[in-house]
Amino acid sequence: MNSDMKQDNLTVLSEFLHKRENIDPARVTPEASLEELKVDSLLLLELLFEFEDRLGVKIPQDIPRPKTVGDLLGIVDKVTAGNGV
Amino acid sequence: MASARRVAVTGLGLVNPFGGDLSDFFCRMLRGESAIRLYTREDSVTRPLSVPAVRCANFDADAALGRSLAYTMDRYSQLGTTAALSAWSDAGLPRTKDAPRNDWGVSWGTALGGTLTFESGYIELLRNGRERVPPLSVVLGMSNAAASHISIQLGLGASSATYSVACASSAVAIGEVLQKIRSGEATLMVVGGSEAPLSYGVVRAWEAMRILALGDEASAARACRPFNSDRQGLVLGEGAGAMILEDWDHAVRRGARIYAEFAGCGSTSDHDHLVRPNVDGQMRAMRMAIQDGGMTPDDVDYVNAHGTATREGDPIEIAAIRGVFGSRSADLAVSATKSMHGHMLGATGVIEAIITVMSLASQEAPPTAYLDDLDRECAGVRHITGGPLRGALRAALSNSFAFGGSNTVLAFRAVH
Repeated sequence: MNSDMKQDNLTVLSEFLHKRENIDPARVTPEASLEELKVDSLLLLELLFEFEDRLGVKIPQDIPRPKTVGDLLGIVDKVTAGNGV
Repeated sequence: MASARRVAVTGLGLVNPFGGDLSDFFCRMLRGESAIRLYTREDSVTRPLSVPAVRCANFDADAALGRSLAYTMDRYSQLGTTAALSAWSDAGLPRTKDAPRNDWGVSWGTALGGTLTFESGYIELLRNGRERVPPLSVVLGMSNAAASHISIQLGLGASSATYSVACASSAVAIGEVLQKIRSGEATLMVVGGSEAPLSYGVVRAWEAMRILALGDEASAARACRPFNSDRQGLVLGEGAGAMILEDWDHAVRRGARIYAEFAGCGSTSDHDHLVRPNVDGQMRAMRMAIQDGGMTPDDVDYVNAHGTATREGDPIEIAAIRGVFGSRSADLAVSATKSMHGHMLGATGVIEAIITVMSLASQEAPPTAYLDDLDRECAGVRHITGGPLRGALRAALSNSFAFGGSNTVLAFRAVH
């Protein structure tokens, strides 16, 4: 994928949360707690699915459960890097 | 069978296929107005579909439930939860999570559950070659989803069960609660059913049984003609309904409006054939409901028939009614309201129970719409035709006779 066209992952995440749960994008920072953003286990699954879909990657099942936005983005970056994108 | 506790119907709610509220729905039923329209569907995936059906075309799930909640639901749950919340409000109950209600529960019926979710999932996997389906697929598709959402939204801590008994699903869900309230196990139950069955696969499956009434734009409204000589079969529909059933004394203490008494229930099995109904099984269910309600056949003034308008089913039901009511049959008012609201499968039982309850409350019963040429084999009862029957309605039965031979009859008594 052309990295110039690739939307910043943080933006992907904040747009998804805004659309799904009407969360203010200003609250979606790397330090933000997923729990405080009301990201429960089901919404987390949807987020992982969204990233897999958009980036054409497969996030392994045995990842540690991310606690912050930064944790989640870190997982996505690691998987993306691993695929050589 | 006499019991210490009586059961009151204190709230009613439904998704009106005409788009209005509960009162609007019942008025149209009394007038003999049909909600059946030609349903056509054409897209890149499926061959064109064209069949008379009942749809809740005006239903806006996002508006009714909020987008965030609606997103976690298949349409069958969206319809069901909306109906349940409407019945709750109709019963004058507050939306508060402060008081845990551990003896208030849910009893729900659905034949097919989240079948639309399954269909779109299969299309993704089998036609579009995808490897995965969206992660909410299980919780959308599972057949207990609606009951779960209702329990969560209303903070209900007693049993939340879902019954799957084909065309009798919500009637069973209603009936099973009788003993819970009579025994004191439950004080209040949200009961009902919902169905969103108009997927491509489900419609084609029903077509293959050659019992779906055909029609075009002009004739669709009158496609379902129970008891008519030229009846062609049934019409599928989507919909949802709910009732609040409550311990009588509890209802009186809180000043609730009581629509009618839920007096009795009879459930039997034909143990005969997968689709052909059985007179004996139906008679036993009606007799059981009457007796359980502490009544005799002479006390019943109206029967809301199962009346799907199939060639085979209608005469068998009339024969069963005549077997139970004997010489009174000629005076016994009967109507088949599927002629107007279609067959909503798992949701039909509660929709018809709501109509039956409102008939007793208003002392007016709806007609069988378009009944202008009575089949001789369906004669022998007092068919309500044209407009409403006004008169002294002391008690009524609502019949649900399902594929597989499960029969459930609900008995209601008017209150004054």
